[in-house]
Amino acid sequence: MSKSNHLIQPESENPQIENRAPENGSPDVYTATTGGGACEHLSELLSRVGSNPFRNFPDCVKVRPLGRASIRRDPPQLFVRCGVCRQAPHRLYTCVTCAAVFCHVHVASHPADVDVDDSDRSLHYIAVDVDRAELFCCGCRDQVYDRDFDAAVVLAQTEAAVIGSMQETPLLPVESTRKRRRVEYKPWTPDVNEQVLIVGNSNPFPSQMSNDSASPEVQWGLRGLNNLGNTCFMNSVLQALLHTPPLRNYFLSDKHNRYFCQRKNSTIVTRSSDNTNKNPVLCLACDLDAMFSAVFSGNQTPISPAKFLYSWWKHASNLASYEQQDAHEFFISVLDGIHETMQNDKGKGPSPGSGDCCIAHRVFSGILRSDVMCTACGFTSTTYDPCIDISLDLELSQGTSAKVTSKKSHKSHKKKEAEPRKSSQNGRLSTLMGCLDHFTRPEKLGSDQKFFCQHCQVRQESLKQMSIRKLPLVSCFHIKRFEHSVIKKMSRKVDHYLQFPFSLDMSPYLSSSILRSRFGNRIFSFEGDEQDTSCESSSEFELFAVITHTGKLDAGHYVTYLRLSNQWYKCDDAWITQVSENIVRAAQGYMMFYVQKMLYYKASEKKVS
Amino acid sequence: MSASREDNISQPQLSAHVFDELLDSIITDVASECHRVAKLGLDRNLEEEEEELRLSAQARATVADPSNSSETNGKYVVDIFGQTHPPVATEIFECMNCGRSIMAGRFAPHLEKCMGKGRKARLKATRSSTAQNRYTRGSSASTYSPYSTPTSTSRLPNGSSGVSGHEYSNGSLEDL
Repeated sequence: MSKSNHLIQPESENPQIENRAPENGSPDVYTATTGGGACEHLSELLSRVGSNPFRNFPDCVKVRPLGRASIRRDPPQLFVRCGVCRQAPHRLYTCVTCAAVFCHVHVASHPADVDVDDSDRSLHYIAVDVDRAELFCCGCRDQVYDRDFDAAVVLAQTEAAVIGSMQETPLLPVESTRKRRRVEYKPWTPDVNEQVLIVGNSNPFPSQMSNDSASPEVQWGLRGLNNLGNTCFMNSVLQALLHTPPLRNYFLSDKHNRYFCQRKNSTIVTRSSDNTNKNPVLCLACDLDAMFSAVFSGNQTPISPAKFLYSWWKHASNLASYEQQDAHEFFISVLDGIHETMQNDKGKGPSPGSGDCCIAHRVFSGILRSDVMCTACGFTSTTYDPCIDISLDLELSQGTSAKVTSKKSHKSHKKKEAEPRKSSQNGRLSTLMGCLDHFTRPEKLGSDQKFFCQHCQVRQESLKQMSIRKLPLVSCFHIKRFEHSVIKKMSRKVDHYLQFPFSLDMSPYLSSSILRSRFGNRIFSFEGDEQDTSCESSSEFELFAVITHTGKLDAGHYVTYLRLSNQWYKCDDAWITQVSENIVRAAQGYMMFYVQKMLYYKASEKKVS
Repeated sequence: MSASREDNISQPQLSAHVFDELLDSIITDVASECHRVAKLGLDRNLEEEEEELRLSAQARATVADPSNSSETNGKYVVDIFGQTHPPVATEIFECMNCGRSIMAGRFAPHLEKCMGKGRKARLKATRSSTAQNRYTRGSSASTYSPYSTPTSTSRLPNGSSGVSGHEYSNGSLEDL
């Protein structure tokens, strides 16, 4: 930085600009915005220099590819060293008012030593880390943060990124005015009077279930599914779908009435290649509607989902076989089947990802964002793709900072220390959030996968990063426990335990968060911040179903655990039993289903007689 | 780099010094980032996360303890309605393909032959049909997931559908 260019521009030094009225009226606006970032010295300085003190700051910032900001040196080779000790260690600071440079050792004494009137001393408490573009307070001897400062840095970063960027909307910082398209969500629970009113004016469902006094409070909608011969993969997924809140509500609200379904009235050639005759129409949505009616009828004897199996085999003829199938494959196939049948009803479907094509996508479809960044110039190519679930690699070597790794099962102590796959060997616990961290990490693409950079006009090494642009109503996470290697001609199941939370906050994996961290977590909203709802709770999810697989790859069993009114039930084909949540937490999760907290009904703890 | 007295510093000392500076710089980078995250409250969910981890560990310990009553296993338990069921489902209904009465627990293998699907039936069929048919069946594996996640680079080999219809099957591998 050249000495003449002050980093901070007090109004009094630029009389021509001063004619402009202060933007927001009072200077105090800047002190209140950071909520924990500013200190008293910074506040004092800002109140003295007036509005928008960092307006010239973007010019002082140099941005390296991939967003790292530092203070520009002018000329660039200028060798900068501490004014006191003449050294240039890894941390150098420059005063925002007088631009004097100090190392981290001597910067704290600057306000006391600087040759100014005592009244002006408060202007010299704040400095900027030269290599990191972060504010430092000499009085508190700590890093401090300011919204306008961050805005200036982000402005410089986005200008640098926009030069080569060809995104459909330029990544300009936007003031955080969240679009309030809908009414803001306000959590509400009835008070005592309201509870009395509600109970007094409503009739609970006829409690035929409590005829048997052994089960005091059995949940509505629990019904076993008979195993038709290695069909536990189907039963497990069906149980999860039958208790997916938005899906359940849709069908129970008669939104797809199987008696009136249009497809019944026409005959369509099915997709299977060996059927040349026209068959009676099959609508998986109708079959699912039938399942919902049966399961929520109150009848307790297990259902045989034979018709559903038949319809599904008609739809996915390549998977039609007596052998055990993969539950995840079945899940995808069923959703696709529902999409297909419902799509035809409405004619031309809207764009994929909007979720308006069918109920399956309305419930499960989210949008993933993929960024590929050139490591040479920072140019970023962004694509959006819809997805109905997220398949996660089971990362064995990840760990958490928490102190939880000690309580492993006893078995690991007794067995010999030979097996490399035991979790205790690595000493690290695999978690769902760890898998999501891995999923959204910036991944260096191999040198054989060089990406053609539009800006550099040549193939360059690049970074790829995934993030979630739009969260679905229901998030299904599929853990890749079955490894199939064509090269090695073998399949393997990974039994490693995976911790998964009952309450999950997805905000760290949103595009807005990922983008923010890419730009140094500056206090500013980005273009990706728009969400469907304006409240934070739209990224909070609650677990409601877990599909587990036990046993070996070729001889295993699927079971679903359902959470109803904070009670867990094990759905093992025809057998529904109640289990403690410990069983679920300790289970080997294969597919986990989370619903947005707003749509999740928690049973009230209080009972009104 | 602070090399004001470079004439008096030996080569190894200089390299060590440079390395130390670089390492300090990287450490400061990380510290600065973490400080920012902590100060601005961007890691607000740390407590909830740790609570979940604690509950999970506790659960595993409880479940692993043999003195605790084990999870109801097997097919001879009583369900929440007080019912028991035979290991193989005995309900009898009509097959919607051929009309015969079939027992529930044997329905899938019956339907497989009845519809002409499945390995044995398919092998029989493909012997007499053209190779064209086989290709059609194999490629249809990719059509049922039009919205597969685009993480093809980070997926395991054969993680994407379309290589074989039984990528995850619990049956034996089938080579088409």
